[in-house]
Amino acid sequence: MTPTPSTATGLTGERLCVRYHARQPFVLNEVSLAIPPGKISAFIGPNGSGKSTLLKTLARQLKPESGRVLLDGADLAQFAPRQLAQRIGILFQENIAPGDLTVERLVYHGRYPHRKLFEPLTAEDHEAVAKALRLTGVAALRERRVSHLSSGQRQLSWVAMLLAQAPDCLFLDEPTTFLDLAHQFDVMDCLQRLNRQLGQTIVLVVHDLNLAARYADRLFALRDGRLVATGPPAEVLTPETIRRVFDVETRVLDDGPQGLRFCLPVKKSAAGESPS
Amino acid sequence: MLPAKSSHRPLGWLIAGALSLLAVATLVQLMAGAYETTGRSALAALTDPQVWQHPGVLVRLFLGDKLAHAWGLPEANPLDTATLIVWNIRLPRVLVGLLVGINLALSGSIFQAVTRNELASPYLLGVSSGAGLAILLVLVVYPVLGPHLPLVAMLGGGGAFLLVYLIAWHHGTSPVRLVLAGVIVAAIAGSLQTAVFFLAKDINLVQNALAWTTGSLTGAGWEQVRMIAPWTFLSCVLSLAASRHLDVLLLGDPTARALGMSVERARFFLAGTAIMAAASSVAVAGLVGFVGLIVPHVVRNVVGSAHRRLLTGCLFAGPALLVSADAVARLLFRPVQVPVGIVTGVLGGLFFLYLMRRRQEIGKL
Repeated sequence: MTPTPSTATGLTGERLCVRYHARQPFVLNEVSLAIPPGKISAFIGPNGSGKSTLLKTLARQLKPESGRVLLDGADLAQFAPRQLAQRIGILFQENIAPGDLTVERLVYHGRYPHRKLFEPLTAEDHEAVAKALRLTGVAALRERRVSHLSSGQRQLSWVAMLLAQAPDCLFLDEPTTFLDLAHQFDVMDCLQRLNRQLGQTIVLVVHDLNLAARYADRLFALRDGRLVATGPPAEVLTPETIRRVFDVETRVLDDGPQGLRFCLPVKKSAAGESPS
Repeated sequence: MLPAKSSHRPLGWLIAGALSLLAVATLVQLMAGAYETTGRSALAALTDPQVWQHPGVLVRLFLGDKLAHAWGLPEANPLDTATLIVWNIRLPRVLVGLLVGINLALSGSIFQAVTRNELASPYLLGVSSGAGLAILLVLVVYPVLGPHLPLVAMLGGGGAFLLVYLIAWHHGTSPVRLVLAGVIVAAIAGSLQTAVFFLAKDINLVQNALAWTTGSLTGAGWEQVRMIAPWTFLSCVLSLAASRHLDVLLLGDPTARALGMSVERARFFLAGTAIMAAASSVAVAGLVGFVGLIVPHVVRNVVGSAHRRLLTGCLFAGPALLVSADAVARLLFRPVQVPVGIVTGVLGGLFFLYLMRRRQEIGKL
């Protein structure tokens, strides 16, 4: 696993259009964006705005009807499955595992794309797994069953699997949605550590604006399948933009020495105030 | 492949238990029958130097007269009656049972992983019935047992599996839909099998076919050993080599795909292996039900869901179950032999009942 230098990767989407059925409206409509390498990016937006769809399209889990995704200038559609999985890892919102699967065995599955058909585990595999366990703080749980862990520990174990995969870019679909507050911090702190220590590019979908403000370097706000605003949290999280994206009136506070931004929802916008 | 230090003991115990059961069942099978011997003389026959010290005899038994003749091996010396019965009749039957047990257990484990469904088995997915129908049709037209039978069975089993998937598919499948579709296809194939009986002119053929559709090892000999052994070997190698891929499939299609697996291709290949294993066992033993359901389930409960251990356990537990069930089938109602499929069917029914009573939601793996 090599730390990703900030210039090595560039993942960009060009005019992406996605829909689930031919006669339905587009879930993503001409979305173009560039994921900043070595940073944490967060997709925000109301339900049905296309956040998860965009995430899955960028990770080639969905095929765009038109437009393309480029990784270091190469069309993502051209990658072989294993080759792609070495570059891009994605964690879905809900994950299933056999009840007796241990954390360690789960994390070893992350090495799947690095092994040829009949190749045994190599020293590099063991190293990557040990490192992933250590960095995510689940090393002490390696013998435990994933199904017996708390929701936060379970999520961290899945992140460890993703990390053992050693991709350039980590995608996470709402990694904190089912977690209580303390566990949300555990997972987000872990992701931040990976980003700061390894220069790992991370892209995630989050519902909680304050979590996004606290951890993300760059926000992408979506509404109705279109990108509405892009930029650092301080630029995107303004009452005007939030109203435009969510139809909600907020008070925005800046607090603390780090200049953390907080959004306090006040009420739903009146119909006339909404742009759409 | 994976370092699983903590839990090696259960697999060891399972193998030891299965081997003991297999040894007892084999000894009973070798001793008992119309020609009764003591355990000691059965063992003496098994280790008869007249067999072991004459490579010609061994080749003749294992590879068949034709090859022995082609290689210019001398004719066998006359053997003792006990040796003759043990080596010509009882031992090959045990061996066929052993190989069929391996095939069905492997096949069941693979189908269960591929469909992520603990109710899946070659019998319930209609694969066995499809294979059986194909064989019956061929036998009616061309009534010679030959080495082509496993291939015919594979075509039939593969066709049935595709049909089941087509019927069950509706934006993906669920365990219950798959089993229902399997029941539909098995019912149709079963009716057609019965229809074949009425069309067949030779009453002998009908009688044989009837015993065969319930799954029987009666009359299984060295010819059947030769027919199934290569496929068993291939199934073992392929499925053990695929164990890591089966493990990843259990994480669900999206995760498997995200990890770089070509999920459809892998599933196709793995299902093909399972069909090969099940169909070749149908070709020699007919429709022996439920072994492919029970064995993987029991082994999984003991050694866990990691496939290298699960499949290894199945290699021992499958034969143990099948050979002991066949001992019961052959000896319980002496002198009448019932097909082994009746014994496994009764066991399987009870086992299904247990699954239903114990679980709130059955099926999902």
